[in-house]
Amino acid sequence: MASKSSKARVNNARTKLDAARARDRRQAVRKRNVTIAVSLVGVFAIVIGVFLMVGRGSEPDGTAVAAGESQYVRADSHQLTTAADGKVSLVEFLDFECEACKAAFPLVEKLRTEYEGRVSFVVRYFPLPGHFNAERAARAVEAAAQQDKFEEMYQQMYRTQTQWGEQRTPADDYFRGLAQGLGLDMAAWEKAYDDPATLARVNKDVADGKALGVSGTPSFFLNGQALQIESEEQMKAAIDAALNS
Amino acid sequence: MRHSTAELSPAGDEETDGRPFPGALPWLLLVGGLVGFAAAFTLTVEKIALLKNPDYVPSCSINPVLSCGSVMKTPQAEVFGFPNPLIGMAAFAVVAAIGAAMLAGAEFRPWFWAGLQAGVTFGVLFVHWLVWQSLYAIGALCPYCMVVWAVTIPLFAYVTTVNLRRTRAGRLLADYHAVALTAWFLLIVTLITIRFWDYWSSLL
Repeated sequence: MASKSSKARVNNARTKLDAARARDRRQAVRKRNVTIAVSLVGVFAIVIGVFLMVGRGSEPDGTAVAAGESQYVRADSHQLTTAADGKVSLVEFLDFECEACKAAFPLVEKLRTEYEGRVSFVVRYFPLPGHFNAERAARAVEAAAQQDKFEEMYQQMYRTQTQWGEQRTPADDYFRGLAQGLGLDMAAWEKAYDDPATLARVNKDVADGKALGVSGTPSFFLNGQALQIESEEQMKAAIDAALNS
Repeated sequence: MRHSTAELSPAGDEETDGRPFPGALPWLLLVGGLVGFAAAFTLTVEKIALLKNPDYVPSCSINPVLSCGSVMKTPQAEVFGFPNPLIGMAAFAVVAAIGAAMLAGAEFRPWFWAGLQAGVTFGVLFVHWLVWQSLYAIGALCPYCMVVWAVTIPLFAYVTTVNLRRTRAGRLLADYHAVALTAWFLLIVTLITIRFWDYWSSLL
């Protein structure tokens, strides 16, 4: 009787011990499970952080300047005309939906034919957030530029601004029509229009503009000097002065 | 001695006949099902609005990357000839109902679990095909669709873990479920980050 009960007691103790061991193992596993998961997230965050820092180092907000370019004129900036000697450049930060830019458009068109070959006319995108379709317009032009139709699309935007401007609904279809009118490869244009890289390209111009203190449009820079233009004569005088200096 | 019964067959012990996550799985099914249903329902409503008015801008078209509109108009959005979210509305409602039934004490036969397994497997495969299409064919992310991705993956992961509980792989999954799920999510987040890196970094 006595031996039987002691055996049962030993058995009981063993079961208890096993249960305790199993519990310890479960606790250890649970802890390891959480630790590894949290470490994974940590490693991920560190990797992203490093890439962001590296990206910033080489291109802090798009303000780093490669050889042969400036914050005014980048290697990928669109030039309506290019000066043979590259001495004088007139940079315009513009918004396709802005009425003042539309007002300046005929003057720029006139001046760029007049100074063809002597002055580089450079266009930088600066869509203002208040203009509902300005960013779309910039993307539409950039998408056309990828098919070498920058100039045509740029002109179309100002010529048709009254048709699509000042509206609070997306003008995608209108811009699609413009692209079609220029005989573009529509599949390629659509793809570029929706491509995040196209928007990034537009935003790169915006980042440069902001860094240069642009807050409104149109903003002109003649050889890196901000121009306050009141008349055609003034603009010409400033360009002539730059050409003769 | 008083605690011995509890110690001998602790709840959720995968070595015994019990299922892992006995407390959490019904809630996961119920909440996951409801969240998935809400996302699918919203997408369906947006789709109807878009059909009524082609110029309609869905509430989740925020920018070129986060945009339902461009995603919803693609052929991938109706692979089987009708809008995908209709599948989601039906399927997630069933998942939620199963979770609620379990909370009410229901027990299911193996064939029922096999059916649930078939459903979540189809769901997870479909969702990954959509992730792939969204990233590399369409080039945009639709926020409501991503909600569906985010609930389908854990639903599949935990239902599978429970169904595999008698296998070695199943026990390993039950032990390291958080690791598996975190790695899975991070993989997709990494793909998204890489694919749209230009865009994300232009926001900074």
